[in-house]
Amino acid sequence: MNLHRTWVITKKELSGLANEKTILLAILLQLFIALFSSFLMVGLSAMYDPATYGSVTGIRYGVGVVGNDTVLSHLLDENPSFKAYQMDLPKALGALKERKLAAVIWTPGTLPEDKDPVSLTLYTIKNDIQSAVIEVKLKEIFLKYENLLRDVRSDRITRHPVTLTASRPVSTNTFYEFIYALLIPLLLFMPAIISAGLVIDLITEEYQQQTLDTLRTTPASLHEIVWGKIASCVILIPVESGLWLVLLSLNGIRIGSLPEILLQVIFASSALILVAAVFALWYRDRTKAQFIFSTAAVILLLLILAFPGNPLNIIALLASGSPAPFHWPVLLIFISFCVILSVMIRGAVRRTEDG
Amino acid sequence: MQVLHQMLTLSYWEIRRFFTTMSRDLLPLSVILVILLLLVSGFAAQRGMHLQDGLYQIGIDSPAYFDVIGADTRFSVYDTSKLSGVTPRNAGLDLKIEIGNIQRSPGEKGKAAQKSFERDYQAYTDRIYQQQDDIFAAYPLWIQNDYVTSELNFLATQSGEQLGISGKAFSEAPEPDLPIEEVSPPVSSIPADSEELRMSLAEQMTKDQEQLNRYTGIFSKKGTTEIPYKVPSLLSPPLPFDTIIFIFVFIFPLYFSSQFFMMSIMNERTLRQGEALIAAPIRPSVLVLGKMLPYAMGMILLASAILLVVHVEIIAILPLIPIIFFFLSSALFIGMISRSYKELSFISIFFSTIATSYLFFPSLFANVHVVSLLSPVTLVVYVIQGTGYTLTDYLYATSLFYLTSVILFAICIRNFREEQLFSETSMIEKITSYLGGLIMPRHWWFSLFIIGLICIPFVLMAQMMYLVLLFNLPMPVSLILIMVLAAMTEELAKGSGIIALITAMPGFLNPRILVISSALLALGFLVGEKLLLFVTISQISDSVFGAALFLNIGMLWMPFLLHLVGVGITGGSVLFKGPKAFPIGVALATGIHVLYNLYLLRGWIW
Repeated sequence: MNLHRTWVITKKELSGLANEKTILLAILLQLFIALFSSFLMVGLSAMYDPATYGSVTGIRYGVGVVGNDTVLSHLLDENPSFKAYQMDLPKALGALKERKLAAVIWTPGTLPEDKDPVSLTLYTIKNDIQSAVIEVKLKEIFLKYENLLRDVRSDRITRHPVTLTASRPVSTNTFYEFIYALLIPLLLFMPAIISAGLVIDLITEEYQQQTLDTLRTTPASLHEIVWGKIASCVILIPVESGLWLVLLSLNGIRIGSLPEILLQVIFASSALILVAAVFALWYRDRTKAQFIFSTAAVILLLLILAFPGNPLNIIALLASGSPAPFHWPVLLIFISFCVILSVMIRGAVRRTEDG
Repeated sequence: MQVLHQMLTLSYWEIRRFFTTMSRDLLPLSVILVILLLLVSGFAAQRGMHLQDGLYQIGIDSPAYFDVIGADTRFSVYDTSKLSGVTPRNAGLDLKIEIGNIQRSPGEKGKAAQKSFERDYQAYTDRIYQQQDDIFAAYPLWIQNDYVTSELNFLATQSGEQLGISGKAFSEAPEPDLPIEEVSPPVSSIPADSEELRMSLAEQMTKDQEQLNRYTGIFSKKGTTEIPYKVPSLLSPPLPFDTIIFIFVFIFPLYFSSQFFMMSIMNERTLRQGEALIAAPIRPSVLVLGKMLPYAMGMILLASAILLVVHVEIIAILPLIPIIFFFLSSALFIGMISRSYKELSFISIFFSTIATSYLFFPSLFANVHVVSLLSPVTLVVYVIQGTGYTLTDYLYATSLFYLTSVILFAICIRNFREEQLFSETSMIEKITSYLGGLIMPRHWWFSLFIIGLICIPFVLMAQMMYLVLLFNLPMPVSLILIMVLAAMTEELAKGSGIIALITAMPGFLNPRILVISSALLALGFLVGEKLLLFVTISQISDSVFGAALFLNIGMLWMPFLLHLVGVGITGGSVLFKGPKAFPIGVALATGIHVLYNLYLLRGWIW
């Protein structure tokens, strides 16, 4: 195999991608997803943590309390976000409909030390994003109320859990797990999926457009052609995942151990690309190869996710700065996968040359 | 009759071709793969997903806390009984429990670790309290939710102080303006005994905790024994990521099947295989529809089968049908314009991501927000929840999908000719020539009106996308971004009419024709806009975002003039500076459009 001729093929495929400007679509897609994930961040955190809206601290929501529950009214008034009003039910619900109140709570008048539970009814506005926010805020109040009632009734409880106190409470919801253990690993493997699809296209196209024979009249051997195509797809991996890492850093997300992460991504992605190349050489038809490959890819993904220490897990650990003891062994496993698959590709190419 | 016969013959051929090419060497392996897939999903469901294992390092000084952590694999546990007094950071930990006190390392990770640990602690206390004999001592407070509907729904999207619900507390209890309606108070005691409540509680808790169970549990409605009362810790729902499962279960298989249609179209084009078909005395519409029919039927069958397997009422197929048509029409379009397989892949991946986001993100807010109805998937969610949907909901959620599919089909059928199918021009040139194909030279003026009319659903879909994408950003930013993007899309769409004209009739455009065509395009645009707004989105247009998008409800001559000036600018740049100046023209027109919108919106902003 002549490395120079392989490189010529690689360059041809890369410039083909640049000419068709399809690679621009891939980059546009990345930007689009980056935008969407920041939408997810802002949108969801706003929904679940009203404080992200910024200047909402000065706001007091009016809550109508129906019945004579003084404890609940007191708890509400104590909280800077709420103000309780004693009202009757029809009037309170009328005011809620006109958005003059944020919520209405109906109380039954059960005493704290009673045998029966205190059963409240909480009225909010249907299908309303803000009611969801208010419900989250009210939950704090209800939890406090539950603790008070539990204390009053504590002699009726036979086993108590160990008590834990936090030296510094965490008030806001963080999206740390979502970012580091889902978004980053998945985004870094997206280029692998694109490249694997691409290698199938590049190989089957030569067969289906019947351009392979023309290409074979050049000094390049079939081995060189196939490896040139595979190389062009592999080269895209560090470029695209590097772009991801830059985009994520621009979003203010700090990522640790960059070189190790890139190594994991490159070898795990190369294994996927080689699997795709095997199917492409076997079927020589885009529809078939893509179909079989995508099904196989789903199976592989499910399978590796079932084991701790899979590449996605390791990337999550590396990115978050946690110790990743399996990093080097797993890397070795994937390098050996790549070697085995390369041998299979040699075999598949030889089969073609013979036939 | 003859047409129907031809169509069915073509469908039959297509099915036969599909099965002969697929069966020989693909069938054995596909069977193996499907069996493997089932086995592996079972295995994965049993073992769980291991993405977050060992994410946090926690140090404990007593084995009692193992009960708290339980089976949570996110934590790597270390014994720190000999390290008392050392801060978590110096011990290399995210979290440290010392004599019943939780300490965390500074930074986001420490916070996240503490939050996760607190959730585990909550689950642990629940496990203990749940086994108490006196359940009403362990859980003394129960809450049921009830809802009222307000007429001012959409206003609540405005964030910050402009929230729909008044942020200012009144010193006295507020009085409703409208006459008070009589309401019956809720029952004062829970209509269930303590054992029933214990069962219901256990059910709610497993649903809340086991991620996987929550996903699979969406479909099996075993929650029938559930009592509407909840304890405070279970009050607010977990993150609404559940709907992503609908995308996987319903949308991906459908999208995947549409790929076969895309490949079938592409295959006709490689090596001019479809030449004989085109030469046959059959109308292109019959040809395309005949080829498409088997795939459409197959996808509908597939969707029904999925619904049947997961025990969802069959009525949920109705919102999926427009999605099927939308996928097929785009598959046809992409299959017709791609030059090579890799272009096909890239465009279809790009398209699928955008389409999936459009379907997925609004449905995230099912039950929370009216924006959710932009996606037909939300209707599927409703059917599964047992709430159902009304005809208005259906029209509102699906009309854009139906309209865009029909228009895309029509454009593709008009261009399903030899010179378009077998030429290898770039994507932009191809789209340009497709646009040109829409102009009938003898009735160019009518064609322009129609172009203005039919680009409306696409423009609206794009604008809805911006709304979905941006409505959660802080207030002035979201509004300005939506306004600029919306204006740009409109100018681009109208300008495409001019491009169509110069492509179909080169040298025809002169200043006089430009004025006439601008007027015609503006008129078509205006008529389409008003028609569609009438049918669908009166709800959204009530909000300030709606105002940013579809300002022009009031007087008609103002928007008409705006559209006219917009196209005029774009067309003028093309006329005097050549087609290369098109982007500049669009940018200029967008600028004017935004200024106009800002002027009208000033009451909202300052």
